[in-house]
Amino acid sequence: MTDTLVYLAYAVTALGAAGIYVGMPREAKADRRGLFVIFVAAAAGMFCLVMHRILGDVANHVAFVILSLFALGGAGRMITHPKPVYSAVYFIIVILSTSAMLILAGAEFLGLVLVAVYAGAILVTYAFVIMLSQQSTMHSERFRNALDYDRATREPAWTVIAGFVLSATIAGMIVQRGWPSYDAVRAAAMSEHNTLRLGELLMTDMAVSVELAAILLLVAMVGAIAIARKRIPHDDTFEKRRPLGESGRTAAPY
Amino acid sequence: MLVGALIFGLGVIGFLARRNMIVMFLSTEIMFQGVLVNLVAMGLLHGNIQGQAMGLFVLVIAAVEAGLGLAIVVMMYRRRGTLDAESWRTMRG
Repeated sequence: MTDTLVYLAYAVTALGAAGIYVGMPREAKADRRGLFVIFVAAAAGMFCLVMHRILGDVANHVAFVILSLFALGGAGRMITHPKPVYSAVYFIIVILSTSAMLILAGAEFLGLVLVAVYAGAILVTYAFVIMLSQQSTMHSERFRNALDYDRATREPAWTVIAGFVLSATIAGMIVQRGWPSYDAVRAAAMSEHNTLRLGELLMTDMAVSVELAAILLLVAMVGAIAIARKRIPHDDTFEKRRPLGESGRTAAPY
Repeated sequence: MLVGALIFGLGVIGFLARRNMIVMFLSTEIMFQGVLVNLVAMGLLHGNIQGQAMGLFVLVIAAVEAGLGLAIVVMMYRRRGTLDAESWRTMRG
């Protein structure tokens, strides 16, 4: 039974990789119907793989499956979407479903902190940088709106193969080594006061680590300000050396 | 755990494939998410809380990385006027 599960895991990751490859933004107009079919097949395989473990306590399981599908779909669309703003939006979907999964698995404090830190802080930073640096030319066509380095990927086949090998290896290893059933995880989670124990652990055994994390955040803040506040002269020689439009220079210099 | 692994793989693909530097950083955040899910699942499986504590530190590292990385991105954008990672091809040895 485990062998078939391993091959099923390989098949699911391969299907996902093929879907990502088809969905990569590129110059020629891609056929998007194939993408949809591949993703549905991958989702169905994933569903079977997860459903294999599932008997009893159905509502939580179904919610978990749906959330994980949301997370995976959001991540896939995030890395294939030609416009960074929409990538950020899909990233929000990934964050929300991940934190819901964490809460469902009993790690409620971490789930809430995830939403607060990512959606509140990191996403706002990303949004600022995207707004600072994105001037899209106003054409009504769908792909014209994106800059040309967003339209064309570099080496889509090799990167997808690399990612497929990595995730297939990890997935196969997880399935082979006795995949923890969701019930066990949930039973372990429900038996304790999570947040209380987490706080006790952080303030006793890991107090030094907490202080180190605080210092790291402070240093990073100082460093980020020091990097970003300098006014760097625009590199003119670079522009003369290079013919216009060769590497996606549609943006005017800041 | 499988979900975490797959999210991590997607992040790797995105980081290697995309040329927009902002999207590359978003892909690293996706990788952080995958690791976080796996940490929590493993910690709960072993019945201790260390997994969640490590998850909190992963969050700290993600915040630090986002701040510093985006500062560098802003600096590079000011210098070249584009977010294309390929425009720094001349840094190749």
